Amino acid sequence: MEKSPGIGSTATTDTVAGLPVAATLPRRSSRFQRALRMHWLDAVLVAPLVLYILFFMLVPVGQSIYLSFVRSGTRDFTFANYDNIVNRSQFKDAFTNTIGITLMGVTMEMVVGMIIALMLARGFRGRGIFRSIVLVPLGVPTLVAGAAMLYFIGFNGYLNEILLDLGIIDVPVYWQQSGLRGMFAIALADLWKTTPLVVLILLAGIESIPGEVYEAAEIDGAGGWQRFWHHTLPLLMPSVTMALILRAIDAFRIFDIAIVLAGQTIPVMSSFVYFDYAAGRTNTAAAAAVILLLMIMVFVVAYLLLVARRTEDVR
Amino acid sequence: MSATMAQAPQVQTASAGEEKRRSRWEDVGFWILALVFIVIFLLPIYVLLKVSVSTLAQATAPRPSYLIRDPTWDNWDRLLDWEIIGSPLRHSLTVAFGTAILAIVIAAPAAYVISRLPRGVRYVVVLGILFTRMFPEVIIATPIASNFFEWGLNDRDLGLILAHLIRSLPLAAWVLVGTFEVIPRDLEEASAVDGSGRVGTLIRVVLPLAAPGIAVAAIFSWLDSWNDLLYAIYLFLTERTLPLMTYYYANRGTVTDVATFSIILTIPVILLTLFLQRWIRSGYLSGAVKG
Repeated sequence: MEKSPGIGSTATTDTVAGLPVAATLPRRSSRFQRALRMHWLDAVLVAPLVLYILFFMLVPVGQSIYLSFVRSGTRDFTFANYDNIVNRSQFKDAFTNTIGITLMGVTMEMVVGMIIALMLARGFRGRGIFRSIVLVPLGVPTLVAGAAMLYFIGFNGYLNEILLDLGIIDVPVYWQQSGLRGMFAIALADLWKTTPLVVLILLAGIESIPGEVYEAAEIDGAGGWQRFWHHTLPLLMPSVTMALILRAIDAFRIFDIAIVLAGQTIPVMSSFVYFDYAAGRTNTAAAAAVILLLMIMVFVVAYLLLVARRTEDVR
Repeated sequence: MSATMAQAPQVQTASAGEEKRRSRWEDVGFWILALVFIVIFLLPIYVLLKVSVSTLAQATAPRPSYLIRDPTWDNWDRLLDWEIIGSPLRHSLTVAFGTAILAIVIAAPAAYVISRLPRGVRYVVVLGILFTRMFPEVIIATPIASNFFEWGLNDRDLGLILAHLIRSLPLAAWVLVGTFEVIPRDLEEASAVDGSGRVGTLIRVVLPLAAPGIAVAAIFSWLDSWNDLLYAIYLFLTERTLPLMTYYYANRGTVTDVATFSIILTIPVILLTLFLQRWIRSGYLSGAVKG
């Protein structure tokens, strides 16, 4: 490959020098040249990744921002694209649905993930099998998690069937509609698919706390609860923060599950962008995508500033 | 894991008789909870299997049954026809393997260099790579799709590979930096003293040691590509991949076909993930948490 001149010349210097002691002298004199040559090789190795990230990630993001501020097909600066989408009910739905799904989904995932992680931190017979079963959704494509949920949230689906059998509801509920029910249905599919990841992150955190195994084993009664709240949780904050931020970012970007489960009936930000693009409205699609990016950034910055910092102060 | 097993009995023997009785009830509660979770985590898979061997009438009937009654292989017979599945399968496989190979070719050399940077710089670079996750994929896919249409890359495997690399490269780079980091520099220096050039050392000494990490990164990339719906839906208008087929069936409402395609899509993923579980141990992630 392109790197061959580099090795060729290095190899010749070494063989010409012969003795190791003598070899150090010419090496020192041309240290700058050698450093340059070494870094040239580094640059060649790094270049493809850097160029890819630049041209296929950063430039497109810039393009989207640019497109969102120009009139379709022109270079005229305008706010019309933003004006257009914030006045459309489909966009308002997408915005509230995305926030609702993220709030519901991530809350449920953190609670369920924490419970399962604490269970796994306790030694018990069959732990290995339990762990494997809990991790099953990791091996299921997100799209399939959404598709599987079709059979649960349908009017004649299993969610209604189970709730009817348990006597919680008397008449089947129509879940696939915009509003809280639709958000819950999508959050439920997301919960099933992503809880294993939360479990893995939290379990790693729990296992890295010294002596934590005892605490997890003794998580009985009020004493256990207090121990969890005052000792385990503060020490676990780095893991919680990581799981929460990773999950929230992905929940904001949710696409596969929403589009398979509900298409355009329950729009989310990502699917709104896609359907606008598919309808030939690239500029308004770009504007919605920029708003989604802002939502994610505002969330991450706010969380890091408010929550992460405050818990550090307490510690 | 073995440490956990060993310590648990000690705790129990330490507790008094009354506490022991209470902890038995705790155990019952624990197992009921565990059982509920087991059912919840397996139920969707079971339902997919059940629907895939049901007739459309059975699958959409009110008050669906929990047990499989009168299984039929009609759905499988109809869909496992080369006319239907051949082209999507070929696209999905080509794109997934193309993405995995290119992800390694592009990310591995860069990850090696990053892993040899001073600790502080390395931390910033890796964090920067991970921060690209904050970009919603649609903000990238929208202009990428416009550009690819201009360049004639729509409905082409190459176009989809290039798009999937956007998602795979950061993750592959992250995994590979972690892999190269733990390979001691002494080994390289020893090899350099032996007279190998730097590239020779890389290929003969570093690469074989990094093989497991490279395999993990390749499998992650393969899976991400195989599972992808978003870039496929943007870029493939006349051609279809397996996820696109699943989506179109879901859109048309033939629920039995959705289930069958979902299972076809899931089989390789579940096999690869089981294989990966040796690496996705909790310890693997704890390093990432501690940074």
